[in-house]
Amino acid sequence: MTDTKTLVQNFDFHGEALDSIFATYKELREKCPVGHSDKYGGFWFLTKSDDIFKVEQDPETYSVRPTMLVPPVADFPMIPIDTDPPELTEYRRILLPLFTPQSLAKMEGPVRDVARDLAKKFVESDSTDATAMFARALPTIFFSRLAGFPEKDWPKFDAWVDDILYERTKDPKRAKAAEKAVVDYFENLIAAYKGRTTQEANTGTIIDYLLEAKVNGKPLTKDELLSYCYLMFLGGLDTTAWAIRASLWYLAQDLKAQRYLREHPEAVPTAAEEFLRTMSPVQAMGRTCKVDTTIRGQKIKAGERVVLLFGAGNRDPEVYDNPEEIQIDRQDNKHLAFGAGHHRCLGSNLGRRELVIALEEFLKIVPEFTLGDLSEKWHGVGRLTLNIKK
Amino acid sequence: MKVALDAKRCQGHARCAAFAPETFVFDDEGFSRVREGFENVKPELQEKVRRACTNCPEGAITISG
Repeated sequence: MTDTKTLVQNFDFHGEALDSIFATYKELREKCPVGHSDKYGGFWFLTKSDDIFKVEQDPETYSVRPTMLVPPVADFPMIPIDTDPPELTEYRRILLPLFTPQSLAKMEGPVRDVARDLAKKFVESDSTDATAMFARALPTIFFSRLAGFPEKDWPKFDAWVDDILYERTKDPKRAKAAEKAVVDYFENLIAAYKGRTTQEANTGTIIDYLLEAKVNGKPLTKDELLSYCYLMFLGGLDTTAWAIRASLWYLAQDLKAQRYLREHPEAVPTAAEEFLRTMSPVQAMGRTCKVDTTIRGQKIKAGERVVLLFGAGNRDPEVYDNPEEIQIDRQDNKHLAFGAGHHRCLGSNLGRRELVIALEEFLKIVPEFTLGDLSEKWHGVGRLTLNIKK
Repeated sequence: MKVALDAKRCQGHARCAAFAPETFVFDDEGFSRVREGFENVKPELQEKVRRACTNCPEGAITISG
């Protein structure tokens, strides 16, 4: 048994710590809802839903500088997430029109076509890995098209994402090399976009939007463009893949839920929210206190880092009945999977639709499936072995 | 029953669109407002609006009466 003090001081939310993180969250929420970990240069963590919402909605007290990520994934501020209002608002405004409910309605068909094709290929192929064949492939194809990342480059993406997001706590040098490779990649890609003839120009991709954007009357600088592209690359590919994979991982083990959703596809959107609540791809994001403050009686000084544990808030018993239970018909679900406040995930509406459509099509096309390797974990974008009932 | 939406709190989660698409409309940046003429909620839409209210992450929707 680890004592609470040790648990708090050594608290981590990356890598293997995720294997048993929900038990850790529970203990922390009960014994030390606001605590200080010595990891990653030291940070305060918040486990209560209400505390997290308050911080998210208070940019006056909490800044995202120097970066929202703990530990950092880039040595430059990522646009827009590492900026505060008012500049944050200007940067977000560039892409908001792409992700409104009206815009999303137009993407419905194309996302479904990709999901259907991938599910069919998965059934027909000899591979049992639903991550590579489906969960990662869907955002790689759909989001890359939307963003304007050329198809010839897609095969490089998974390794870069793995190195930057999953190797950074184990092998920082490798993460750094991948970071540089991605920045170089976008430098070349942006140059290629700028060198296009007018006839080829503007096909309405995210990169086109960024190239045409003006912030306070000026186009984005080269550094701003690179930073925004880098964030789109990480945010658009990995999170959606995780959400799809985690949902399938769960359904492979809860056949009652799987059968219910097959028979009642109209119940998928509500179930998807529950998967996002309980297995959120983004377990936490950081802030820096701008002034001395107090949270739940705990004094926090200006300059100190605060980590918002969305995954812990999402299982707060003050907000959810039987919070540890995955209830696919849960009605009230104000989870924090996409954050809240000014930094609400810019692509949340797209991510949600991709997840819902992915599950609908997968269940429609792939016969009953079970987990082929019980050692595979709920988190990350690693292999997901599914045995399909033939 | 009446419904109101605090535009200052809305952050564009669009959850209200999922629960009560008849009652809420969105501007070109994805921020929500109550559709004109829908401030007084008809009986058949009340349950939907209640769910939009309880599922708004920002607490931007209030219902009264």
